Amino acid sequence: MAAFGLLGNNVILLVSLASMLQCVSADGKTLVLLDNLNIRDTHSIFFRSLADRGFDLTFKTADDPSLSLIKYGQFLYDHLIIFSPSVEDFGGNINVETITSFIDGGGNVLVAASSDIGDPLRELGSECGIEFDEEKTAVIDHHNYDVSDPGEHTLIVADPENLLKAPTIVGKPTNKPILFKGVGMVADPDNPLVLDILTGSSTSYSFFPDRPISQYPHAVGKNTLLIAGLQARNNARVVFSGSLHFFSDAFFNSAVQKATPGSQRHEQTGNMELAEALSRWVFKEAGVLRVGAVTHHPVGETTPPAAYTVTDLVEYSIVIEMLSEGRWVPFDGDDIQLEFVRIDPFVRTYLKKNGGKYSVKFKLPDVYGVFQFKVDYNRLGYTHLYSSTQVSVRPLQHTQYERFIPSAYPYYASVFSMMAGLFVFSVVFLHMKEKEKSD
Amino acid sequence: MLGVSGHFCRLTGWCVAGLLSAGLLGLFLLSLALVGAQALTPSHHLSLSDVARLHSFLSQSFTDLESAYYSIVGLTKLGANVADQRIPVSNETRDILLAAVSEDSTVAQIHRAVGALSSLGLPLASQEVVAALTARINKEDNVMAITLALHTAARLSAQADFVGILEEIEDLTARLDDLGGVYLQFEEGLEATALFVTAAYALSDHVDMEPPLKEDQVIQLVNSIFSKKSWDSLAEAFSVASAAAAFSSNRFHVPVIVSAQGPATVSHSQPTLQLLVTDVLSQPLASASVLVESAYAVASKSVILSQAPFTLNDGVFELNFMSSQPASGYYQFTVAVTGDSRLIANHVELKVKVSTEVAITNMDLSVVDKDQSIGTKTTRVDYPSKAKSSFTADSHQNFAMSFQLVDVNTGVELTPHQTFVRLHNQKTGQEVVFVAEPDSKNLYKFELDTAERKSEFDSISGTYSLYLIVGDATLENPILWNVADVVLKFLDEEAPATVQPKTLYVPKPEIQHLFRKPEKKPPTVVSNTFTALVLSPFLLLLILWFKLGANISNFSFSPSSILFHIGHAAMLGLMYVYWTHLNMFQTLKYLAIIGSLTFLAGNRMLAQKAVKRIAAEQSSRLAKYRSLR
Repeated sequence: MAAFGLLGNNVILLVSLASMLQCVSADGKTLVLLDNLNIRDTHSIFFRSLADRGFDLTFKTADDPSLSLIKYGQFLYDHLIIFSPSVEDFGGNINVETITSFIDGGGNVLVAASSDIGDPLRELGSECGIEFDEEKTAVIDHHNYDVSDPGEHTLIVADPENLLKAPTIVGKPTNKPILFKGVGMVADPDNPLVLDILTGSSTSYSFFPDRPISQYPHAVGKNTLLIAGLQARNNARVVFSGSLHFFSDAFFNSAVQKATPGSQRHEQTGNMELAEALSRWVFKEAGVLRVGAVTHHPVGETTPPAAYTVTDLVEYSIVIEMLSEGRWVPFDGDDIQLEFVRIDPFVRTYLKKNGGKYSVKFKLPDVYGVFQFKVDYNRLGYTHLYSSTQVSVRPLQHTQYERFIPSAYPYYASVFSMMAGLFVFSVVFLHMKEKEKSD
Repeated sequence: MLGVSGHFCRLTGWCVAGLLSAGLLGLFLLSLALVGAQALTPSHHLSLSDVARLHSFLSQSFTDLESAYYSIVGLTKLGANVADQRIPVSNETRDILLAAVSEDSTVAQIHRAVGALSSLGLPLASQEVVAALTARINKEDNVMAITLALHTAARLSAQADFVGILEEIEDLTARLDDLGGVYLQFEEGLEATALFVTAAYALSDHVDMEPPLKEDQVIQLVNSIFSKKSWDSLAEAFSVASAAAAFSSNRFHVPVIVSAQGPATVSHSQPTLQLLVTDVLSQPLASASVLVESAYAVASKSVILSQAPFTLNDGVFELNFMSSQPASGYYQFTVAVTGDSRLIANHVELKVKVSTEVAITNMDLSVVDKDQSIGTKTTRVDYPSKAKSSFTADSHQNFAMSFQLVDVNTGVELTPHQTFVRLHNQKTGQEVVFVAEPDSKNLYKFELDTAERKSEFDSISGTYSLYLIVGDATLENPILWNVADVVLKFLDEEAPATVQPKTLYVPKPEIQHLFRKPEKKPPTVVSNTFTALVLSPFLLLLILWFKLGANISNFSFSPSSILFHIGHAAMLGLMYVYWTHLNMFQTLKYLAIIGSLTFLAGNRMLAQKAVKRIAAEQSSRLAKYRSLR
């Protein structure tokens, strides 16, 4: 009976372990800030897909006085969705500063704006290297607008060719056009981290639809960003969409056709796929890497020595895993590089996939000092992977130098002849029998 | 029994009078609200495609009482003829429905059973329902329960006590949340809101009394119920269908949806403005008549049309707006829909666009010297051909372009919203866009000062394709014209910045460590020669010794002498091993062992030798002495 109970306990343990493995991620608490609660209904497909994927959504209006992102120095949420473009002041103790520190603390943020964009979102954009155009402006494209455009050519059909070429962020390539209606952005040229996820076409621009163009528009042509992203150096991810309608049920289900004669009609927009891929990326369901076991040792041995010697032949291997549908699976990449660094890299070489891990054999440089094995993998759409292992490399010991250099043979010969002479002399000197002089 | 029903009737009559006065007050307030907040119009309704989707959503096969109810009643609301065997109703289903009407059932179960039964035209035992329901009406104070009670009451002919229930409509209305002045809904959600609307109108129709809802509130309710285009559950879809049916066919409030057929645009090729006037289910309101109260140009505010009626033509209301010869641009229409006192939101503001076509004329291209701008040759290019030769401009020259934009239909000069000049470098893909601006005569002039603008081109010389982009919301033919190729030459051609920020995400170049080359060694002949020279003294020693007759005849095989010489040899050997393998500490250890042994053995050997020699000396001295003697 006792044995049975033990068995039962083990089974329970196994089951609980399995369930822990099952849900590695995607159980993030998410705060959704809305202009009004009706947006929950008009954007229900998007929110439902998030909820189905295990996100714990909390809906609040953006001016709710009970809002709070941080309590006692702890973040209350893992992710933040701001679907409240027109907000002028966030409620509670949320403001641009707290959102910025939320991002600095590793939180992920999805922001959707519209032509009614308020100051807080513009400030938040500036903090992240994205400049929104002014309130009441819209992205206009007289050459690529939808047939159902109400009249100002602001309902834009964005070609999928204008998407960033990064499947981790935008999903599988598709030919479905994307419907967009909202405000334009430009990227800060000094911020290399901003990603142009979706740009306008060459004929698009951003301005007030109802005023003549009196000054150079904020964004023109391909510089016009419709959707922009950012992966901060701490791997926090932020996505800015100029359009809240982009995520709406109406745009997800709508048919799309450019108004220019002879355009192809698509029964469905690519919005749903793109929105889902974006949400997967921004909320860290896709493109998340981690480092597993790192090993290094001289070729032919299995354990690392206390210190390597210069010009040793060394084997280094690292396990890299990717999060895929809540599980960690081996990552498949062919451009992972290993650096052997002492202040500057001395060796940089590609790692080869070898079973479940990446490995390479190489000869240490003939320079001694404190080195690091460094894998610094920073690719578009993936989290920044960094692993460094410190080892020391010492010079040759005196026994490890070359003993007999041909040029120095006279020295060796003189020494050895001296020693041989000493021995022979000592023998002869001690044991010679002198002839009798008297003879 | 009769007495009871009479009592109910009297009570109902009293209530009707009370509500009538409330309704009048409401109307008064409503007209005030209309004056104050101008034109809140429904922004959401069910388009024909939405209705079709709703229909297919509700046509799922049903498995239990709930889904049977939702499907049957929901489809009935959308106008589908269910009794016509489109949804087969088995005897089992009928039995389930009848069994559900009992005093033990909850309000919800009674309500659904009653609804399904009456929709199917099956006999309904009213008395049982009344008895089961009245016990629960005021027990629960949540929106759903009260709404269901309202709804069930509407099904029950004149046998229920409506007074308390009718008051509930007003109470519930006060509980609605106003979201941004556009939406009105219960915090319980869309389903509760939609069911409340259905129930309120059903009961109001039943007692023939206007529900206490203001016009703005009705419109806000319409917005909030029909803004959701994707339904989570059958129940939600059913509630939306019911509310849609209630809004389109009640006796008091029918919200009007006025929308243009296609875009609200007229042009010379399409001179009539076509309006669809429908209810929330996109069913045309054929009995209505539509009138333009006024229409004015948005830009100039001048009134162009007033009190012009639309004509009904095959379900579409039409007006030939081009007959009043409007200039291209936007016009604000105020449209009134009349013909039925139930109509709500029947004064609609519409923005109508008059569009036209543009043509580009007098396109002149030239390259102007900065010093002497006289005597330049201009080239005329006609749309849509491209200039035959390319233009070259260096830093001492300006590239100039001038053109006019005219309305094809009227010949009037136009100044469209977008008049951009785009220069696209085919090699690098870089594009630079300038805005062309008209002068006072509406002549567009664009001049490119190559020296001044070099930073925008990153000082990259090369061939640029020159495009003219003309577009406006009121233009039917946006233009993207590759006018010519321009070769730009910048003076100081610095190497373009090669480091792009995007290189952040690409592999870095490989680094192979360059090992130090071993130093070149001197030729071995020299060292070998000297080795031989160095070894020669030892050989010489041996040879000379041999000649002198060196020997080791005195060697005695005593252990001490053997040990000493072996030890001596071992010490010398240790020196060699020290050179090749050992470190100093190991060497010292071995040396201590071997050295002490050798020392002792040497000492003993020398002592023996000394004894032997002294003995030999003594004997020889003795011999000498004897011989002397």
